[in-house]
Amino acid sequence: MISGVDLEITAAAFLGVVGPNGAGKTTLMRGLLGLLPPLQGTVERSTSSLGYVPQREGLDPVYPLSVQEVVRMGAYARLSRWGRVRPADGALALECLDRVGLADRRRLRFSRLSGGQRQRVLIARALLTRPEVLFLDEPTSGVDLPTQEAILDLLRDLNRREGLAVLLVSHQFEVTRAAAREIIWVADGRVGSVEGVDGLRPERFGASGPPPASGSREEG
Amino acid sequence: MEIGWGTIWELFRYAILAAVAAGAVCPLVGCFLLVRRAAFHGVALPQFAAAGVALGFAVLPAWIDRVGLAGLDYVEALESPHALKNYLLAFAAAATFGALLLLALLGARKTTETARLAAGFALASALTILFGLASPVGGEFIDSLLHGEILAIGRHELEVLLGAYLMVGTLLLVRRHDLLLVSYDPETARVLGKRVRAGEALLLLITGLTVSVGTLIVGPVVLFGLLVLPPLAARGFASSMRSFFLWSAGSGIVAAVGGVWTSFRFDWPLGPAVVVAAGSLLVPGFLAAKLSGE
Repeated sequence: MISGVDLEITAAAFLGVVGPNGAGKTTLMRGLLGLLPPLQGTVERSTSSLGYVPQREGLDPVYPLSVQEVVRMGAYARLSRWGRVRPADGALALECLDRVGLADRRRLRFSRLSGGQRQRVLIARALLTRPEVLFLDEPTSGVDLPTQEAILDLLRDLNRREGLAVLLVSHQFEVTRAAAREIIWVADGRVGSVEGVDGLRPERFGASGPPPASGSREEG
Repeated sequence: MEIGWGTIWELFRYAILAAVAAGAVCPLVGCFLLVRRAAFHGVALPQFAAAGVALGFAVLPAWIDRVGLAGLDYVEALESPHALKNYLLAFAAAATFGALLLLALLGARKTTETARLAAGFALASALTILFGLASPVGGEFIDSLLHGEILAIGRHELEVLLGAYLMVGTLLLVRRHDLLLVSYDPETARVLGKRVRAGEALLLLITGLTVSVGTLIVGPVVLFGLLVLPPLAARGFASSMRSFFLWSAGSGIVAAVGGVWTSFRFDWPLGPAVVVAAGSLLVPGFLAAKLSGE
């Protein structure tokens, strides 16, 4: 359980949510998305156009999904009466894949892509929902540094050029600081905000201390 | 004397069509069971349905005495192609959906679903035998049921099977995207405004309908063979969910046709022949998976 949440996500904001593992960052995001009801207080949304990029490790590789099929899931909220993806959404799915640089991989099995590529496919899927706010849960976890940079560049680009509001949850202190314009910290069940990334100091994390700098575990 | 294929078709067309219909539809349901890591449902649920059918036989005399069955007495009921099958179908459906409901209600408990299903499977297997023994006709029926002897299928059973499986096929076709999303990524499904519990309930309904009707008409052996084996074989060939569904249904139809041919060529019972044919498809499926690096 986390408390003390007083948060507003404005248009074109880029918020980073940082804190140690198990601090409640994902719980906070799930509350904002409406996946968890708040025990106290309210969550008000001026838009229902939310894009969500979950942690890719939670997606079972036993599903023989192609890259294209994963992206087209982003259009499942507006299927035709007979359950088909509309042709316009099919074309948009290709554009979204192109936007993340993976249009040429659309026929491959999703589970065979590298961690970074799968992450970009999930971002393309979220973009297909035509979101006003993009929520990402640990998008750079478990990928190498160049891939982290590529993902962050893409997010910055979407935020600055297309005015997409971004909320990025990460336990990777340096990654979040490098990308976000505003930081929210979560630690010991409490939430606090920091005016700009320069205000983020290790002591704000309380007894648990700051998270370690990001490492590389997987080829992008 | 050699019997020609024309004569075989004339005599057994209902059974052949039932095998092909089951071969086309059951693997589609099995695809969902497989990717949801619930393949054991494909084995256990038909056993629950079989226990329900056996119970139906065991209580049939009492049922006729107290409730009645289309105004028939016990002997007439046993000879009636329609009333008895409808009555047994109700028992099969009640047992299947009861088991599914119980599993769903116990879902939050700490024991694993597989353990609960295994315990239920053991109990259902024992009850199938005991209920069967409680009725002289039921005992014979249980043997027939477990051997998957489906040659005696009549027009009414075929119509029931085709009606139910047409409904299952249509639901799967129209709702496949929703069912896939709620199975694969329920959180994203909820963010997209999908009703995940409704999707899960629809999948249970589809599975229950497929199993209860299939158990009664083609038998549990054929049913769990077609639910599990074609999708397993198809995985090696599939490069997408779409091709997984198509390969699975295609493999099921090939297994049904191959089973019919094998059955008459080698004088095997049709049910086990269909399952063996489906099992033989695992070899090319395994080789294809190896070649593609799966």
